[in-house]
Amino acid sequence: MKRERLLILAVLAALVAWPLLMGDYAVAQANRAMIYALAALSFSLLAGRLGWFSLCQTTFAGISGYTIAILGVRFGLPFPLVVMLALLFTTLSAVVFGLLTVRSRQVSFLMLTLALGQMVWALSFQWVDVTGGYNGIAGVRLPTYGGLDLNDTRVFYALVAVTTLAVFLAVWRLYRSPFGLLLLGIQENEQRMRALGHPVYLARFVAFVLAGTISGVAGVFLVYDMGIMSPSPLGLGHAVWVLTAAVLGGYRSLWGPALGVAILIALESLVAQYTDRHMMVIGLVLLLSILLMPRGLADVLEQRFKRKSKPLASVTTTNRGDES
Amino acid sequence: MKYAKSLMLGSVSALTLASGAQLQADDTIRIGVVGPTTGVFSFFGEQQRMGVELAMEQLSDRLDERNIEVEFYDSQGDAETTVDRLRAMESRDDVDLVIGPVLGGTGLAGLEWAQGSGMPMVISYSAPEDITMRNRVENVVRAGWTGAQPMFAFGRYVAEELGHKRIVMVGQDYSFPYNQAGGFLKTFCRAGGESVERIWHPTGTSDYSSILATLPEGDAVLYNGAGSDGLAFFQQYHDFGLDARMPLLGGSNFFAVGDLPEMGEAALGGLSALQYAEGLENDNFVAFRDAFREMHGDDTMPLAPAEHGYVAFEMAVKAIESADGAERKAVIAALRESEMPDAPRGPFHLDDYGNPVQNIYINEVQEVDGRLVNVPIETYSDVSQFGPFDPEEYLAGEPDSRDFPPGDCSDPYYD
Repeated sequence: MKRERLLILAVLAALVAWPLLMGDYAVAQANRAMIYALAALSFSLLAGRLGWFSLCQTTFAGISGYTIAILGVRFGLPFPLVVMLALLFTTLSAVVFGLLTVRSRQVSFLMLTLALGQMVWALSFQWVDVTGGYNGIAGVRLPTYGGLDLNDTRVFYALVAVTTLAVFLAVWRLYRSPFGLLLLGIQENEQRMRALGHPVYLARFVAFVLAGTISGVAGVFLVYDMGIMSPSPLGLGHAVWVLTAAVLGGYRSLWGPALGVAILIALESLVAQYTDRHMMVIGLVLLLSILLMPRGLADVLEQRFKRKSKPLASVTTTNRGDES
Repeated sequence: MKYAKSLMLGSVSALTLASGAQLQADDTIRIGVVGPTTGVFSFFGEQQRMGVELAMEQLSDRLDERNIEVEFYDSQGDAETTVDRLRAMESRDDVDLVIGPVLGGTGLAGLEWAQGSGMPMVISYSAPEDITMRNRVENVVRAGWTGAQPMFAFGRYVAEELGHKRIVMVGQDYSFPYNQAGGFLKTFCRAGGESVERIWHPTGTSDYSSILATLPEGDAVLYNGAGSDGLAFFQQYHDFGLDARMPLLGGSNFFAVGDLPEMGEAALGGLSALQYAEGLENDNFVAFRDAFREMHGDDTMPLAPAEHGYVAFEMAVKAIESADGAERKAVIAALRESEMPDAPRGPFHLDDYGNPVQNIYINEVQEVDGRLVNVPIETYSDVSQFGPFDPEEYLAGEPDSRDFPPGDCSDPYYD
């Protein structure tokens, strides 16, 4: 318990120090990293707890972003209201998607989320009257309160950091709660959970909706960070990017996805500075790290951490040894 | 474990390096060039890059004199990555002026960013008209075109010179073709045309049999799109034997020189319109084309994105020279006054909104020295982004969309 507190304090300190010590670009990068960490967390909640690999988590971010752009720019609704409506609408979409996918498993779940995600992407691309099509909707800005411009990189950082931290802590609690353990149990042995009288479908459904809402939060920041909402964040490329980050960092742990996102973003901007073949370099790094650390970087670090100390409570997931 | 450790170390040092505030406070002036040099659209970004490289070589004395450095950035054709690279330029690399982006969506994202930042920006090939119209900002000018611009001339040409009354237009369903259709309709209908029937298909369609089998009658078909969709349409159009019934006209990028070898001889005589033609024969253009092919290989034909990058770079250097430095206000003022009498594509100057007023060429596919190229057969000079229309009236009107302007030329809109 003590070590966990230390870890949280260290993360807090780093989050506070970053905008004070670093240049504008590094802060902007951190903003993106935190936004995608939320999306990757949303992915990992399903992948790590339920074994559900979703390709539509970025779609929820996109739905949330489009809601803000459409209501805020087209209809001129005020800032806090559009955010609430966006989260509400994203949650509703997650309810609909959840009803469609809750009974599916593994590949069929993957394909369903792929289809749903691509449908929304196509809609954003072709429903020009509403979404602005390929050109998107420009001019999505946060307001200025009494001289405090929320669009300023560092002010925006504070908003994103506080929210991201709060969401991660909430999910941390969730993972340790009976509900979180039930999800793990379902992944382990669905029949047994059912036999024990747990509402398996309901639990899955709730997890799916929760994950969708978390992605919706990411979408809120994503659209304000960009200032423009276009179909590109809903594309398959972004969904796969989030999946890659989560797998690289380790989707079974809480902080693995955030780690994966940070590494990927740092790699991308670093390597792209030196060569046009940056995708090759990143691909190679991914290949090696997945070969050497199939359960993700976070898992490797946690194993190491644990060997030196008492095992943590149920923060880490099962140790089923060599599962595929 | 060893690997994990080194990976951790690596990532930590990567983060530190990536974030290192490298703001250099010296008298070097930096130009950042952004375009998609990887990904699906890398062709366009590579063309821009090659054009800029040629301009760099030709202007090297002037670059040395002003201590100008150039840095290339990869947008991956993605709006978000574009904004990220632009931020890196401004706050990490101390860039003073940006050239690019190249694609439509990235152009609008770049514009949105530039509005907040105030960075002088010369957009090269990116064509959404609102960049220099409804969303225009002081610090952004364009060296290229709007989607409607060449079609203003083409609409007139098709109605007046070819005498077609009814056009069937098949196009890719997104904003660039809408804008091309809009420009075409606005002049076609006023020059004696009767109707344009639009049929939109999703991008990435490879089978056009259902469209071709039910194609309405008209005097000609205009394919409003490009790339692999355009190629597939072209081939199936000929397989169906429709070319014997109705001639096939093209949107601005349809008869792109890269696709011509695959279209083959059937493409001969194909008409389209653009502010550029690889078959131009004036001295400036021939010098540009020869130098380009000498630098980048004989098989690499410079296309519009290359010329636009080349010209955008020259505009930037001129602006820095006449502003006597990189002070933003002065550079922006100089950019807005840009006049390019010797541009390879022909002389142009910027209008009050920051978009070139330039020649539009009606191009015909011809065989020159065993190669299929677009040869200009007619020139409309001084065409602006508003075509023959009054800018204020144009801006007050509705933006082009899927079904605007009306396809029926007797509509009161055209009175």
